[in-house]
Amino acid sequence: MNLQDDFIRLVNDNRGILYKICRMYGDTDPDRQDLFQEIVIQLWRSYPSFRGDSKFSTWLYRIALNTAISDLRKQRRHITTVDPDSLPTQLQDIQYNTEKEEQLQSLYAAINRLTEVEKALTMLYLEDKSYAEMEEILGLPQNNLRVKMNRIKEKLRKMTKEAVYGVGNA
Amino acid sequence: MELETLKTLWQEQETPPLAEPGREQMLALLQKQSGGPIARMRRNIRKEVILMVVCYGFCILFYLFAFSGSMSRVAWLFVGLFVFFYAYYYRKNQLLKKMQCMSCEVRSNLAGQLKTLQKYLRFYFWSSTVVVPVSLFVAFDIALHSDLGPVREWKIFALFALAAVLTIAVYFLNRWYIHKLYGRHVRKLQELLREMDEV
Repeated sequence: MNLQDDFIRLVNDNRGILYKICRMYGDTDPDRQDLFQEIVIQLWRSYPSFRGDSKFSTWLYRIALNTAISDLRKQRRHITTVDPDSLPTQLQDIQYNTEKEEQLQSLYAAINRLTEVEKALTMLYLEDKSYAEMEEILGLPQNNLRVKMNRIKEKLRKMTKEAVYGVGNA
Repeated sequence: MELETLKTLWQEQETPPLAEPGREQMLALLQKQSGGPIARMRRNIRKEVILMVVCYGFCILFYLFAFSGSMSRVAWLFVGLFVFFYAYYYRKNQLLKKMQCMSCEVRSNLAGQLKTLQKYLRFYFWSSTVVVPVSLFVAFDIALHSDLGPVREWKIFALFALAAVLTIAVYFLNRWYIHKLYGRHVRKLQELLREMDEV
């Protein structure tokens, strides 16, 4: 198997992580596509120097988060126009019709209100990473991570409650 | 929602089929150039170097051979400037190469980026400011050796005044321009690092 095929297989095996990072950091679909492309390009450029000193997923998180956080393009403000014909006319047109999907939408909406550093921490927390792994990826001491994580958990709890019960009723 | 519920929800979410590029799409993607800010800056440098080689090459050849070679000192001035700018672009490119460490820890990558970017901007600022008076004095020296009339005191005074005015103008112009180009990026990096370090 050549280097390219090996790389493509690894990216496909971890596409879930990339998808979640792009959805977290990109405001619109074109932004997410751009970010996905940029992350894959950066991964490919760094791949020859990956020597397996750390886990592949740790290496991938580092590159993906470095790209997402330091990418200026997402600061663009988009003015999106909506074609009235594309608006759902019947209830069954609305895509997220299951309770689970609605909850996921609320979670992403809450995450969207966090800062870029908080988003990175939230991603790693939701992916069940230990503080040691978070430290390896982000380079922050564990006591700092714990304090930040407690604050973020509180924020998330509050924001997802607001989303479920409505603002002010939480 | 409880946090454990959020975790389960997060981990069980499905990746849509659209997020699974095929082999051909991936191969095409691997051939693409990076659209990141540093990659764009390096591409701009390459374009500027090509433009410089063409323009300076033309000027050097023109002054070497036109006017029966009597203006060859001007050609040497352009050679000097060419060497200066080549060293300038080389240094800028080296700094840009060092600017990113994508596989490093996020914090150290951001800190390295900020430090190198500030070094890059200082270099950019001072070299593009200093080149103005230096070019003026070299041009004056060439004029002095070209029998363009006697050197009068007022000419020297005018030269110094012109150099001072232009240098001050270029100083402020560069400050404004560099801030306009890179200010937002520097601020963003500083904010990210501040947020990461505060407990």
